Amino acid sequence: MFLESIMQGAKKGLETTWMLAKIVIPVFFFVTFLSHTPALDFMARVFEPFMNFFNLPGEAAIVLVMGNFLNIYAAIGAIKALSLTGFEVTVLSLMLSFSHSLFMETAVVKKLNISGTKIVIMRVSLMLLAGFVYGNLVGSVVL
Amino acid sequence: MMDIYAVFTEALTGSLKSVWNIAIIVIPLMIVMQLAKDYKILDYISGFLKPVTDFFGMSKESAFPLLVGLSIGLSYGAGVIIQSSKEGNLSKKDLVLLIVFLASCHAVLEDTLIFVAVGANGFILFGTRLIVAITLTYIISKRADRILDIEKIKYNKEHVEHHH
Repeated sequence: MFLESIMQGAKKGLETTWMLAKIVIPVFFFVTFLSHTPALDFMARVFEPFMNFFNLPGEAAIVLVMGNFLNIYAAIGAIKALSLTGFEVTVLSLMLSFSHSLFMETAVVKKLNISGTKIVIMRVSLMLLAGFVYGNLVGSVVL
Repeated sequence: MMDIYAVFTEALTGSLKSVWNIAIIVIPLMIVMQLAKDYKILDYISGFLKPVTDFFGMSKESAFPLLVGLSIGLSYGAGVIIQSSKEGNLSKKDLVLLIVFLASCHAVLEDTLIFVAVGANGFILFGTRLIVAITLTYIISKRADRILDIEKIKYNKEHVEHHH
């Protein structure tokens, strides 16, 4: 029974890996090509004027754009490239922890027959709300 | 102008690396899950987490996917959810609640630590995320009941009208 369980589990593991690979590979290609186009810089420039809603400098827009469209690691790279205060890094991290890698994670969620649009709306709303609350209210009182 | 060949190579190696990283987590995870199931350890875990799943109005089968998604990540959680629903016992409500919870709060260890590494406050990050996920899932679990009831009533009505 022990060996049977292991074989059965390994089979399920391979099936699940294959299922996820079919999502991960195409999305990874898309996102990698996207990262080499001027699209992200352009979007960051569009969002720059809105960053003061979160009490953040305009240049921090690129962090949110990269985190949401690419992944958290790309966003971390962008954070390192800017000189931000600890408070600003916490606000950005909080925002990104609610909403990141949207292409990849939404593709996975859609596999479960759950509305991808609703999940994206929920995550982006949480990101904006968290950024607003922490950036302004909590930021001025506690930090 | 971007070098298409270099970008293609980057995408290919990167995506294969991701798949490899998934495989080395998912295959052992599924083996452990199968053993836990066959040796009734999974029932013990579900029993232990019953207060949590009860609080959200989820079935006890949701406990393991919840645990996996919360600790190691959304994709892995989704992998376990898909396996569990293949084997039966996850309802539509379980699925929606699991995804609402995990979409707002997943991979707490990894996500928190990499932000802490660049200077974020980890307590604020982890605390806020967990509280928001719990609150949101709880609210939706209360509403989900009502929505499902309405659908049931609608269905019965149509059913009755059909008979007339």
